[in-house]
Amino acid sequence: MPPKVVKVPKTDPKAFNPNRPAGKLLLAQTQHLREGLIRHLHEVSTVLAMDIRSLKTEGDVSDYVRKVTSILHPYGTRRAGRKVAS
Amino acid sequence: MPAGLDNLKHIVVLMMENRSFDHMLGALMKQYPKINGLTGNESNPDTNGAIVKVQPNAQFQSQLDPDPDHHFPGVDLQIFGTTQQGAGRVANMQGFVQDYFSQTNDLNRSHNIMYYFTPDKLPVLTTLATEFAVFNGWFSSIPGPTICNRAFAHYGTSFGQVGMDIFYVLDKIPSIYERMVQANPSQSAKIYYYDQQSSTMEIVNLLKNEPQIFATYDQFIADCKSGDLPEYSFIEPCYNDHAGADGGQILASDQHPDHNVQEGENFIANTFNAIRTNPDLWQSTAMLVVYDEHGGIYDHVVPPNCDPNFPDGHTATGDATGTGTPFAFDRLGIRVPAVLVSPWIPRGTVIPGTEDPAKGRIFEHASIPATVTQFFLGNFDNRTAREKNAQTFLNILTDNMRPDDDCVVFN
Repeated sequence: MPPKVVKVPKTDPKAFNPNRPAGKLLLAQTQHLREGLIRHLHEVSTVLAMDIRSLKTEGDVSDYVRKVTSILHPYGTRRAGRKVAS
Repeated sequence: MPAGLDNLKHIVVLMMENRSFDHMLGALMKQYPKINGLTGNESNPDTNGAIVKVQPNAQFQSQLDPDPDHHFPGVDLQIFGTTQQGAGRVANMQGFVQDYFSQTNDLNRSHNIMYYFTPDKLPVLTTLATEFAVFNGWFSSIPGPTICNRAFAHYGTSFGQVGMDIFYVLDKIPSIYERMVQANPSQSAKIYYYDQQSSTMEIVNLLKNEPQIFATYDQFIADCKSGDLPEYSFIEPCYNDHAGADGGQILASDQHPDHNVQEGENFIANTFNAIRTNPDLWQSTAMLVVYDEHGGIYDHVVPPNCDPNFPDGHTATGDATGTGTPFAFDRLGIRVPAVLVSPWIPRGTVIPGTEDPAKGRIFEHASIPATVTQFFLGNFDNRTAREKNAQTFLNILTDNMRPDDDCVVFN
């Protein structure tokens, strides 16, 4: 026997109103996003301020590359390193 | 352990916006007496002293404009029926009409705050409530607005906030997502927001540079279809009306007044169907539909006090509350709709609340990280005593899985 199907009425298309005044929640969201952007910019400017001529070792370079890549491609992940037997 | 828990692999939480229990589900009591809803005789005085009874006149849109007050001082008035502070006042849920009049300056419109939906208007939410489990005693965590209440769903605390601020980003208690990702970096927890134009209200985690835990609702649908849903998913509805990428209409689906309630019904149905139509996922998922707070709309149940033995650990100053009186996070906010869905839940399950002093269980949004932590992580110490003591909801799942043809689908 097929499961019971409950019909869900569709929303009246006239309900769409992007000109509705934005409420407190949405205005708070914009404020919070702006704060996030400022923090993000601060992070970008900190990395931009680094002098790449000062990078000497592969460790220095990898740290710098990680910082830039995490900004340009934030979905990247760090891999676990191989454990050395003691 | 019940078989329902043995088989559980995923918890999905869909948090809607700003509707009270009685407004959405109160009318169900006529047909289902165990549901602590409305008799029809509940009332509030208006500013002329006339008695205004609850009425089944709620509409999908255009009725709660301006947006009813749900900030701390307004909710305090709604609960106590007076703006006076101090000892001796009694919570009586008598200030809703009075508070809405202060916004509308229109006696008739102020009565709208007492309106509720009949079940035929809300076939999705009322079907889920009656086909699976409904909570008589799920309360918002704070008598206040969205952000601080949603914080409890993510962190088990709002870090002392009773308003819309998010600047607790550096606090040491990790969100449920951080806890999950730390324990299992791949596919353990995600916040699915609707799209880039709606985005998320959980901006703290964006600030914490954890974009890997975010994805869009399209991805949720795809993850359900492919069986790649993470262990824990938190879903955010669309928060605003905007044009789609193809120029079509995308309506707010959060049900926040004055957004269209029917669009929210469709969104809940889509989310349910995404899980329901993948047989493996359906058998291994528990889905909670819950509202962040009551949105200033009438509910008849007095919010209970919190257990003083398990404090939140914060106090908001009198300036922060806006009432002149500090708040020690010792009382819950107003009751909201909450429904738990799983084929392992018997039809018609009603979890008793404050109406049953012997068996009643009190849930709040800290119950969400408490449940997810308990199930997936076990012991986890770095969280509030309040969250550690919060009721968890997975013990509602039983040993018996209902057959496929016994569980609804939405069309």
